[in-house]
Amino acid sequence: MTQATGTRVHEFETSSAADTIRVGREIVKLLAPPKFLILKGDLGAGKTTLVKGIAEALDAAEPDEVTSPTFTLIHEYEGTRHEGGKDEPVMLYHLDLYRIEQERQLDTLGLDEISTPDSIVLVEWGDKFPSVVKRANGEIVMKTTGGDSRKITVALRD
Amino acid sequence: MRTGLILGIESSCDETAAAVVREGRETLSSIVASQIATHARYGGVVPELASREHLRNIMPVVRAALTEANITLDDLDAIAVTEGPGLAGALLVGISYAKSLAFPLNKPLIAINHLEGHIHAVLLEQAQIQGDALPLPAIALVVSGGHTHLYLARQQHKSWHYKNIGHTVDDAAGEAFDKVAKLLGLGYPGGPWIDALAPHGNPAAVPFSFAQIKPKVYRKETQRHNFSQQFFFSFSGIKTAVLRYVQTHEMAASIEARRSTLARIPNPRAADALPLCDEQTLGLIASFQRAVVEDLRRKTFQAAETFGAASILVSGGVAANRELRVRFTAEAADRGLPVAFPSLALSTDNAAMIAAAAWPKLLASEFASPELTAVASLPLGT
Repeated sequence: MTQATGTRVHEFETSSAADTIRVGREIVKLLAPPKFLILKGDLGAGKTTLVKGIAEALDAAEPDEVTSPTFTLIHEYEGTRHEGGKDEPVMLYHLDLYRIEQERQLDTLGLDEISTPDSIVLVEWGDKFPSVVKRANGEIVMKTTGGDSRKITVALRD
Repeated sequence: MRTGLILGIESSCDETAAAVVREGRETLSSIVASQIATHARYGGVVPELASREHLRNIMPVVRAALTEANITLDDLDAIAVTEGPGLAGALLVGISYAKSLAFPLNKPLIAINHLEGHIHAVLLEQAQIQGDALPLPAIALVVSGGHTHLYLARQQHKSWHYKNIGHTVDDAAGEAFDKVAKLLGLGYPGGPWIDALAPHGNPAAVPFSFAQIKPKVYRKETQRHNFSQQFFFSFSGIKTAVLRYVQTHEMAASIEARRSTLARIPNPRAADALPLCDEQTLGLIASFQRAVVEDLRRKTFQAAETFGAASILVSGGVAANRELRVRFTAEAADRGLPVAFPSLALSTDNAAMIAAAAWPKLLASEFASPELTAVASLPLGT
């Protein structure tokens, strides 16, 4: 696999929504804050479903409480990351820039304020804006591979 | 001397709005920035999704609300503002401005939950038009692009109490309308397009079904809040079902043709799209809308029965949907339950609903502290 130096790639296959939630919980192990990741995937690929698993593993929200931020733009969850026998507080942000049309409108979201050392930021439609891409230190790509099956690729830059 | 006049300010998401309402029942003015974009006399308001624009709009919008109500700040009994949920940056513009008005004038500041505001949009109009209040308790369905919530609304003494009995676990209903409209090459926001085209199609053409929300999908018990999942909504699946239908029926070329034709029309409307939709597309649109409306109707009325509600109210942008109104009205009549919807102007975000919701809080002296700040994910009720 050809990848830029310093990028680690992890791949997952899922066969149902419940499976995608399970992978979300697993992915948390890879997400040591600070993380600012572009979350890519077509309509129905399961982006919100994956975030349900991530939020649950962080004790940040019940899966039922994690909903799509398309209209509301930004959802914020306060959680705890349990890694290496330690509990560290973490802020999880789920953003969707679909409705944002211009770079200057990004001001509303306060990306500087949410990009803290203890935050995990997941941004849908983040690749619309060069400034957001520049800020990102990785991406999660979700692809439909027929029926309910999905391929999930997590690429993290060092 | 009490005037009963409250200035409401709303800036939780896309709209900057201000309104003056007397005693929660008489609207003296209701100004929404995007709706006065062309009124240069108010100082050139620019509707836009940015705190900076809220900042630019807030003073002209408040000034317009006071001017139109023909009152001054001194006439007010209180200033009410949306505390959340919404975008923190956008909310803060309204909150900071409300404080800057309230404190020097020594007027009480009242914090309002945006979702409570939507409920009071209906109560305000009921009081205004009907003259009498809805019988309580009421089941309130707040359904928009960003929210799909069911509440049991009650009044105890002067205060209102809300119990959240259901909500969407993924997409809001309005978001499903937006995404399906986009999938089919129609305009944004999607609701009015789908609503206008649906009567031309066969609502039984495509059998959509709503799977029950399955608790076993999740690892942990989700009963923590002790509400039955019977009243949970999920609109992500139907959006994906529409996508699959489009793919398996090879509709991509006709959708692209429709999208590009509409793109060439300045300010296209649903009437422009109708000749561009074949029977299959119209059937898909009609079936989608029927399925969403039926799911909302079934759960809302089931909730009314379960909780012994004496009336039903529907608010938020999707409350403007004509099929929803027809089917809710018909079932309400069958059950002998009063049902109420807001006018179009009050179904979308506005500040009259904020000023109206503040009146019972003024009577109960429920005032905000000087430390009031934005709460982006503020829940309503218990």
